[in-house]
Amino acid sequence: MDCVFELKDVVFAYQQKAEPILNGFSLEIERGVRTSILGCNGAGKTTFFNTLTGVNKPQSGEVLFNGNPVEYTKKGLMDLRSNVAVVLQNPDEQIFCSLVEEDIAFGPLNIGLDREEVERRVDRALKDVRLIGLNRRPLQQLSGGQRKRVAIAGALAMQPDILIMDEPTAGLDPQAAVEVMELAEKMSLRGVTVLISTHDIDLAYKWAETTNVFRNGAVAFRGNGDEFYSDIDNVYSCGLLAPSIFTMNKDVSAIKGMDPAPYPHNMCEITAKFGGSKKSGKLYLVPAEVENAVSKYEEIVKDAKDSTVGIYGSEVRFELQDKDIEFMFEGLDYCFTQAVKGKDTILIYDSIYAPTIQRQIDRLKEFGFDADTEVVG
Amino acid sequence: MSNAVLEADNVFYSYSRKGVKVLNGMCIDVPKGKKTALLGCNGAGKSTLFSVLNALYEPDDGKVLYNDKPLTYKHKDIIKMRTDVSILFQNPNDMIFKPYVEQDVAFGPENLKLSKEEVEARVSEALFTVGMEKYRKFPIMKLSYGQRKRVTLAGVLAMRPSVLIMDEPTAGLDPQMAYEVMEIAEQLNASGVTVIMSSHDTDLTYSWSDEIRVLHGGQCMYSGVPEPFYSDHKKVQTAGLIRPSVFMMNKALHDLGRCELEPYPKTQTQLSVKISDCRDRNFGTLHILVAEIDTDIAKSLEDAGLTGVHSGIYGLSARLAADATGYQPNYRYNGPENCTMKCLSGEDAVLVCDSRMVDLAKSSADFINNNGYGKIDVKTI
Amino acid sequence: MSLKPPEEDSMSEQMEMDELAYSSRMVNWAPLGKLIFVMAVLIIGLLADSLVVPLITFAIGFALMAYSTNLKIPLILALAIGEAILIMIIGSGMISIMGDHSQPALWEAQFLWFDIHMTEQSFNNAWQIFVRAVAGVTVMLSFACSTPIPHLAHAFKSLHCPNEITELIVLIYRYAFLLLERFLVMLDAAQCRLGYNGTMTAMRSYGGAMAGTFIFSMELAEKSEAALACRNYQGYFPIYHPPKNMSIMWVVVSVGLAVALYFVGKYTEGWINMAEIMAPLFGW
Repeated sequence: MDCVFELKDVVFAYQQKAEPILNGFSLEIERGVRTSILGCNGAGKTTFFNTLTGVNKPQSGEVLFNGNPVEYTKKGLMDLRSNVAVVLQNPDEQIFCSLVEEDIAFGPLNIGLDREEVERRVDRALKDVRLIGLNRRPLQQLSGGQRKRVAIAGALAMQPDILIMDEPTAGLDPQAAVEVMELAEKMSLRGVTVLISTHDIDLAYKWAETTNVFRNGAVAFRGNGDEFYSDIDNVYSCGLLAPSIFTMNKDVSAIKGMDPAPYPHNMCEITAKFGGSKKSGKLYLVPAEVENAVSKYEEIVKDAKDSTVGIYGSEVRFELQDKDIEFMFEGLDYCFTQAVKGKDTILIYDSIYAPTIQRQIDRLKEFGFDADTEVVG
Repeated sequence: MSNAVLEADNVFYSYSRKGVKVLNGMCIDVPKGKKTALLGCNGAGKSTLFSVLNALYEPDDGKVLYNDKPLTYKHKDIIKMRTDVSILFQNPNDMIFKPYVEQDVAFGPENLKLSKEEVEARVSEALFTVGMEKYRKFPIMKLSYGQRKRVTLAGVLAMRPSVLIMDEPTAGLDPQMAYEVMEIAEQLNASGVTVIMSSHDTDLTYSWSDEIRVLHGGQCMYSGVPEPFYSDHKKVQTAGLIRPSVFMMNKALHDLGRCELEPYPKTQTQLSVKISDCRDRNFGTLHILVAEIDTDIAKSLEDAGLTGVHSGIYGLSARLAADATGYQPNYRYNGPENCTMKCLSGEDAVLVCDSRMVDLAKSSADFINNNGYGKIDVKTI
Repeated sequence: MSLKPPEEDSMSEQMEMDELAYSSRMVNWAPLGKLIFVMAVLIIGLLADSLVVPLITFAIGFALMAYSTNLKIPLILALAIGEAILIMIIGSGMISIMGDHSQPALWEAQFLWFDIHMTEQSFNNAWQIFVRAVAGVTVMLSFACSTPIPHLAHAFKSLHCPNEITELIVLIYRYAFLLLERFLVMLDAAQCRLGYNGTMTAMRSYGGAMAGTFIFSMELAEKSEAALACRNYQGYFPIYHPPKNMSIMWVVVSVGLAVALYFVGKYTEGWINMAEIMAPLFGW
């Protein structure tokens, strides 16, 4: 297994004689795999993140980054922190400079990158979080959600191997939360290993490939979320509850006498499992860029007149924000659901997300549904 | 004579002289005795509205009505209103003024100039309600975020408000703690307290609230039951919101021709029933054991011959009774939903429940029975 | 349209000054240069005996302010100057009525136990102090409204000021806003629990809020230290687009102007005698 991080029997306590927070902690974080960290407050998540960034040096045990032990020297830590970026729950704890673009440039400037490189990275990060117009704003004037985007941009500008997000959707309104998760997906597609810690179990269930559950400073479970939630007593003892979709699948399967597996993770999958139409509706997939989003939209809407339209991806969404679109947010899930229901539908998305779309098509096959898709343009 | 306990009548408010009007002709009411959810994207004015309704800020223009009478902003009247209307701020650290738990909970009652005995009684009652009685003498700084939240909730409850305003009550809480806070809110409402909360958790507000108020651009753009609002996708989008998953799935089922849109299911259990179409099956019986704080649950279940049956707990006295005797139910969380689902799969279930919460406990079973999705026998012990 | 970020409103005067500084037309001028210029003009204004020099200082300050804000001088600056004027009227007024008893009086009166003795000298002195003070405030405000604090910190760093000091300046500036926000929210929370129901109660609430804000700052400091380490903090805050470095021209112009004003002061000494000018008004 190609691991970004490997922790072996790590023991860490804040003071010499204090109770260890991480006690015989072992965990592997696989490269490129969408990983979630769950656990109730006090389970050791923050301490764990600080261990990954080298802020906490364990009293015993090994911390391996890209296969090599972390060196707690100035250079070693700088190398580590140039490749491991953390976005904290409260952005005010990690943004320091006065202007937006200055704070984003803070990390790259600190590691001594040359001017041009820093500018390139800052511009790209601003574009990714859609703060281009606000780049010279003082931080005090920004709302909480905007500050969160600044913190994320600061992490992205480091072009890290691994991006750790602690409660990425906390404090964000629903639409902003959707966009942050789209950004996490984009990073994942760019090859960044994304690690998310959250209390939103539904979100983690929908998004993660590997689920890690912490309890009392140790890893209580590592693996597939479906397996974890099937043991409800274990879920309770870890301070968690089961996701709504999981519970619904379990209940309805029990009533209908069906096998709970395969486990649906989102709306289109559960609709496919329990009541999809025999014939798929036509799903027009329209990959687009900023330059051609509007023209592609106008063209496809003319051709496929009675189809509902959905959007996935913040750049396309921004270009089409004034159009009357049924599924402006979470278009991927809703459009596939329409297809499952036998209705024609159009999904316009940022072209980078093509693998994400394919992934959904493949997943639906597990539920016995073959989507009738046509890629346009 | 309206049935609104608090009302904003054409209120305008901005933070600085030349600033943006955060409340821009706001007309909104808080219906008495109901559970209301306040929705809106960040910047729509939710926290500001709460502050204006609680007389923290005086509007630049327009009136705030409390029990149909305009606020006079005289010191005495405001004090009187604040003994009745309490706000729970989002960040518990903003509400902590004393180092020890019982001191901080006593802060409010002491400010009310109550007698020592009365203060003591209220502090105990409040700490019991939130399940923090054991932590009475603890220093607050040693508590976790979720525990601090419960302490601040106790501090607010010690005022015995008849209107409780909650700003993002579940933010930052792990799932179990979030559920417990919402159960306390339901308990309060069942006892007659008007509860209004703001939250970004769309699914939670949909299943919990009786009515919603949607803010946008400093005005109230929708007021009433959630379904007509969520049926209009343009309105939802303009407001900066998304639609609840249970609502969308119900719509999907309807589009598939499986069922009518109404009755709208509010919880997964109700939605599962609509998906399953299990009218002809045999359902189990839902037994409801009404518990007081001193009820010996295990014994009562034994007496009723229900020892081996799956059980859930719901409501304050049920939880306290279970903790007192160390009784472990199958379903500590989501008791009513889990028990109802058990019945749907053909087995009996018993729900140990606080006397004030019986109607709520039966709500999913009632949904099934009243809409012809089958028949669940409900027996009260 | 909900996709556009909502306009966040300034909640305090500090934020307004901050906004002004960053939108100033002079924001990219060398901060150290501006400081030296302003200090030179200020000091000469304070030292010169003639009334003409502080009037020139005031004019320079006002002109800079007008240029900086693109002729749209906001209320906050006007109020600040107005405040200075008001305070100085009282202060100067006191000075003007405490004249040397050995000199002839322009106006004499008795107020309670106090002997009012206004002489030509005391009257002129009072005017001089008044104009100097208002000029000083104006010229310093023109500096403040065009120079964000981080730029000043950067300027100090280029003077080889220890990193610790510039770090303190930047962090205090950044956290002052946050802590103030928290403090105000806590006061609101206290109000909601009747924390202002009586003086002792109000004092306890203030104390509790201050303690809470202090604890918040400690927790914030701990978390920020870890965050700074994670972002490879090197001990100073680099400015992405720094303002221009001070060139020698600034020193030349400042010193030159100071010298010129000195000679102007010497030449125009006694030109403006406020007592003489205002004599017809009072019938002296």
